[in-house]
Amino acid sequence: MELEELKALWKQNNRKLEASTRLNALLFAQWNLRKADTSLKRFARGITFELILNLIGIGALGWFAADHAGEPKFFIPAAILDLYAIALVIAGARQLFELRSLDYDEPVVAIQSRLQRLRLARIRATMCTLLFAPLMWVPLLIVASRWLFGIDIYAAASPAWLAANAILGLAVIPLAIALAKTYGSRLERGTPMRFLADEIAGRSLTAALDDLAAIRRFAEEG
Amino acid sequence: MRTDDAQAAFVDRLDRHRRILVKVAGAYCRDEADREDLIAEIVAQLWRAYGRFEERSAFSTWMYRIAVNVAISFHRTKMRTAKAVEPAEPAILEMLPAPAEALSDDALTLVREIIEGLDELNRALMLLYLDDYSYAEIATILGISETNVATKVGRIKQRLKRDIAAQNEL
Repeated sequence: MELEELKALWKQNNRKLEASTRLNALLFAQWNLRKADTSLKRFARGITFELILNLIGIGALGWFAADHAGEPKFFIPAAILDLYAIALVIAGARQLFELRSLDYDEPVVAIQSRLQRLRLARIRATMCTLLFAPLMWVPLLIVASRWLFGIDIYAAASPAWLAANAILGLAVIPLAIALAKTYGSRLERGTPMRFLADEIAGRSLTAALDDLAAIRRFAEEG
Repeated sequence: MRTDDAQAAFVDRLDRHRRILVKVAGAYCRDEADREDLIAEIVAQLWRAYGRFEERSAFSTWMYRIAVNVAISFHRTKMRTAKAVEPAEPAILEMLPAPAEALSDDALTLVREIIEGLDELNRALMLLYLDDYSYAEIATILGISETNVATKVGRIKQRLKRDIAAQNEL
């Protein structure tokens, strides 16, 4: 069989499809198309929600830092956390901007490349968040205990205890990567745990890079 | 044009080209619930873009481009999550009894197998080729050169010959 014969079969199938389907008039009468949800809208909602949370965090940390401007032992941890939150906001805002400017009425290769780059940016941002989070543990402990309970953790805990927590935070990173690489693929696909494990282990990043490379190969001549 | 009129015009045009929805969804999803979800997603994206449709290309070409873009994204996400879900909405396209002049199951299965054997982008190219779009139109929709389209169609033809020869040997 040649491709031309397949074309003839395909045309025959088209006629069949035409005759065997009809639009659901009732659904269209009831469906508010303007409010119809799409995966892009859901994605944008997720990023917007994160942005709002991070902006609240920046504001609160800024307020705390200003309140403790004369106390470097509190000001510095708050500033570190604030910078971390600002970096997350910048990453989120860039993704949201990219997402809002997406128009599916563009050539397929261009749109798919943009979507893959967006996916890469998202994965990298999540990886950074997950991998840097353990390092933020000690500054968070210092700020939160002061802010929420009025406790000066420097006075309440020994420097050795704080140093041990910082080292623990550092140790968690390679441990999380090793666990995600060894056991992550055994988790059920589509679950949040599997998603996290794939991100930490770098499997999501590799898959996204492979997909982007496949799109580039497709667009290349010959 | 009032929104209601615009929606009525959109639905009318969509109805005239509804087989594009079925073909694209069928090429990218095996599972019926996924197909229905994908069709709903394509229709929502088409409506979102409809306000910017300027009649510079045929409605069917415009519809194909958006449908393929949505389908590839949907397929990639599904491949990652690999979870079948119940459709959130009732089916947009209702299935009616098949007409007497139905395509034989063997022939249809062969066409489906060939399409499903291709990667997502070549699948789009194949759909457009089978639907008689010219190389120039395929190139515009996909965003690649005409020479590239011709090369890829040539490769698919060769692969088809090889596959059929291999099947005959079995």
